[in-house]
Amino acid sequence: MRSRWRWLMAISLAASGAQAQANGWNMPVGVTDVSSDIYGLHMTIFWICVVIGVVVFGAMFYSLFRYRHSKGAKAAHFHEHTSVEVLWTAIPILILVGMAVPATATLKNMYDSSDAELDVMITGQQWRWRYEYLGEDVAFTSNMSTPRTQISGEEARGEHYLLEVDEPLVLPINRKVRFLMTSDDVIHSWWVPDLAVKQDTIPGFINENWVKINEPGIYRGQCAELCGIDHGFMPVVVHAVEEEEFENWLADRKEAAEQEAMGVDREWEMDELVERGESVYQSICSSCHQAEGQGAPPAFPALANNEQLISDVDWHLDKVINGVSGAAMPAFRSTLNPVELAAVVTYSRNAWGNDTGDVVQPSEVAELIAQ
Amino acid sequence: MWSVVKSVLAALLGVQSNQKREEDFSSGKPAAYLVTGVVITLLFVLLLIFLAMFAAR
Amino acid sequence: MAPNMPPQPPLQHSTTAVADGQSHGHTAPPKGILRWLLTTNHKEIGSLYLIFSLTMFFIGGIFALVVRAELFQPGLQLVEPEFFNQMTTMHGLIMVFAAVMPAFTGLANWMIPLQIGAPDMALPRLNNFSFWLLPVAFTLLLSTLFMPGGGPNFGWTFYAPLSTTYAPPSTTFFILALHIAGISSILGAINIIATILNMRAPGMRLMDMPLFVWTWLITAFLLIAVMPVLAGVITMMLMDINFGTSFFDAAGGGDPVLFQHLFWFFGHPEVYIMILPAFGIVSAIIPTFARKPLFGYASMVYATAAIALLSFLVWAHHMFVVGLPLVAELFFMYSTMLIAVPTGVKVFNWVTTLFRGSISFESPMLFALAFVVLFTIGGFSGLMLAIAPADFQYHDTYFVVAHFHYVLVPGAIFAIMAGVYYWLPKWTGHYPNERLAQWHFWFSIIGVNLTFFPMHFAGLAGMPRRIPDYALQFADFNLLSSIGAFFFGASQLLFVLVVILCVRGGKKAPAKAWEGAVDLEWTVPSPAPLHTFETPPVFHRTSH
Repeated sequence: MRSRWRWLMAISLAASGAQAQANGWNMPVGVTDVSSDIYGLHMTIFWICVVIGVVVFGAMFYSLFRYRHSKGAKAAHFHEHTSVEVLWTAIPILILVGMAVPATATLKNMYDSSDAELDVMITGQQWRWRYEYLGEDVAFTSNMSTPRTQISGEEARGEHYLLEVDEPLVLPINRKVRFLMTSDDVIHSWWVPDLAVKQDTIPGFINENWVKINEPGIYRGQCAELCGIDHGFMPVVVHAVEEEEFENWLADRKEAAEQEAMGVDREWEMDELVERGESVYQSICSSCHQAEGQGAPPAFPALANNEQLISDVDWHLDKVINGVSGAAMPAFRSTLNPVELAAVVTYSRNAWGNDTGDVVQPSEVAELIAQ
Repeated sequence: MWSVVKSVLAALLGVQSNQKREEDFSSGKPAAYLVTGVVITLLFVLLLIFLAMFAAR
Repeated sequence: MAPNMPPQPPLQHSTTAVADGQSHGHTAPPKGILRWLLTTNHKEIGSLYLIFSLTMFFIGGIFALVVRAELFQPGLQLVEPEFFNQMTTMHGLIMVFAAVMPAFTGLANWMIPLQIGAPDMALPRLNNFSFWLLPVAFTLLLSTLFMPGGGPNFGWTFYAPLSTTYAPPSTTFFILALHIAGISSILGAINIIATILNMRAPGMRLMDMPLFVWTWLITAFLLIAVMPVLAGVITMMLMDINFGTSFFDAAGGGDPVLFQHLFWFFGHPEVYIMILPAFGIVSAIIPTFARKPLFGYASMVYATAAIALLSFLVWAHHMFVVGLPLVAELFFMYSTMLIAVPTGVKVFNWVTTLFRGSISFESPMLFALAFVVLFTIGGFSGLMLAIAPADFQYHDTYFVVAHFHYVLVPGAIFAIMAGVYYWLPKWTGHYPNERLAQWHFWFSIIGVNLTFFPMHFAGLAGMPRRIPDYALQFADFNLLSSIGAFFFGASQLLFVLVVILCVRGGKKAPAKAWEGAVDLEWTVPSPAPLHTFETPPVFHRTSH
């Protein structure tokens, strides 16, 4: 079945492919078999539309030109012709059936995520992505790294403006990777055009998709479903590498994760925590509570000079660890590790004039989470 | 009966002649057309579901 | 629904069969503002609808221009993302519910009684009520912009849980506003159905009705079928927000995707509600200016009915990437592709009507012809979107924005403008200034294509919709779109000018203002007196 219609796509590809892709006018062919199948479908249906358009508009403009009242055209009075009508109903149906067959085949392929060699959990959060390599103990969040000064225009915009992140998703090429996708808050949609993967992440539900990348490279995309204020600032970057490089990378990440886990038990200095906390705050918290903790009421309360926060450390920890139900504040118990949680709470209790002097140790947080 | 079915099928495709339409509107009972229309629509939905299930196998 | 309706029992004021419009057996109407508040006359209510719709068209247009101004170049220059989201949302809501829908209802109010030879709408007081609900609804909706936390910021499709758990406090007002607008639509639809089924001139059977009446009859049934679904879904939102239910909250056992199924079960027929009356207007104008009967009248009626029926079977093509089962994807892909068939039939019929006609190019005709071409382009991109696997790339990008704007702006809105230019002589007794109208047409054509055509490319190249700032490779397309949008927006002021000039004076129009016009409205004087057809006309079958 597949080979029979591939020639059609090959023609479309040859006719209009590479050049259009290079100048960014058209859908990318992409770097997976699925993405080039989709590109073929796209070009096929496009050319079908062009041909129908030329015929229909050709007939229309011919009539407009030929039968002008100003040139003394006399109107005929026919107003139906059953066989013509049957014909122009039948031809579109045949074209549509011809189109439905390859589309069905591609769709079935896209839905077949069996036999994957690697599972990656993708979780949408306002407004970042969290990646978890299932069974490998490696997980991290990926935030946009374009500085706000570039957005406001105080600084020149870089080449990958808005499409760059602090930690890209690293994937091996030539391996079938299955994505399990969900969300912690609202619906997001994880999209990378070159991989032809676009899938909504839905809170409380898990969607599946898969990818098998043919070429190493850096592939960029972004959130496609309106998810709140920073919907436009939620890029996806996929770094596709050779399999060996991927194994090395994964091993490094595992080791780093183990070291971090050991850090939970030791006593931390306040300066260490504040320094770590500031970077966590800026990448995770500042999109809602703002860079200076001033918040954006009523949706996002201020943290600076927040009486309740200053007076009640247990309340503060509870909100960060368990979230606020029915509001935008998510639970960070599984998103951040105890070191990061302790650091960010310590930081926000000692920044922007909240000079409480409190130090929250990672070990205390670990205990709270365990309860 | 067959003429009613034919008219409804023509309606689904959007093709009908004036002469046939005149006949429908002068001799047919509206209820017959409505019932046939609903039944054919249901059959059409079932056909599409069957087709989709067949294609998804 | 019998094919031959008996003649209507005489209405209360048909005893005084005087056509001068003053002495119709009632006390004189109140003067000033009260006259408009209390009017039950279909023509006056029709004018109110049209004026309201035009006002909202400009308000919604200004919101769109805020969006386009921010997107003029990369970076955030004018508005914050929060306000940007409110603007995109309000633009959509206002244009759909307050501009396009009331414009069609206004045209229906004016023209349906005139086209079927009825003295007024069947339920005149209800008619007044359904109009005056609208200013209430949309004042409420617009007022949310000034509330703490701002107005709706979750897109006109208001997907839960962004519109429930994560929504601004004003969302309850948004729900109430939509409820009121929905009631207005349902009452209007009931009135239109009652009028068409009961008040046709003696001798006019259903199959003798002009296509505008036919398409509105089918649209009215669609409205009655789906507006309650919208009411249901927003009530569920209301419960989730205020009364602790969890219809759309997975944490409480609900399902966010359920929201989308319900919304689009309303939303897809809603798309056809906004386009079927446009088909009717174009089907009146093209034969008039081609001086040739509409090709395939019966087919047109049947195709309209088929499109309406199919519109209930395709809703999940808006949801191809939410993770539907494979069987559902295939079902909705097939059913969506099939809609192209009856829609294609309509386009072929219009083109064949032109073939061997005697065609002149007055402003209504120009807009109608532009409708045929540009709506078809929107139909082509719709066909592309129907291909489910390809939709994984198109979905939620500017390609979709380009698609539905092609269907709605040079589709629905051009048809409305064509209708206004076509019927202005009947309403005012004067022809619109043809030179200005032609300028308006050419400016609009350039503006609309400059605005929306580059969006196809931006979307294919990977630009998602509803973002306040974008990567640098989309800059050129957005620059063009923004220039086009301001050009298009400004040229609509010309439309207002033409309408005002036409109301105040201009070349006198005879009863039959256009040489090739055939329907009943052209048998009453221009301007149409306040009361027409107080004695039912005798309908002579033409060659439909």
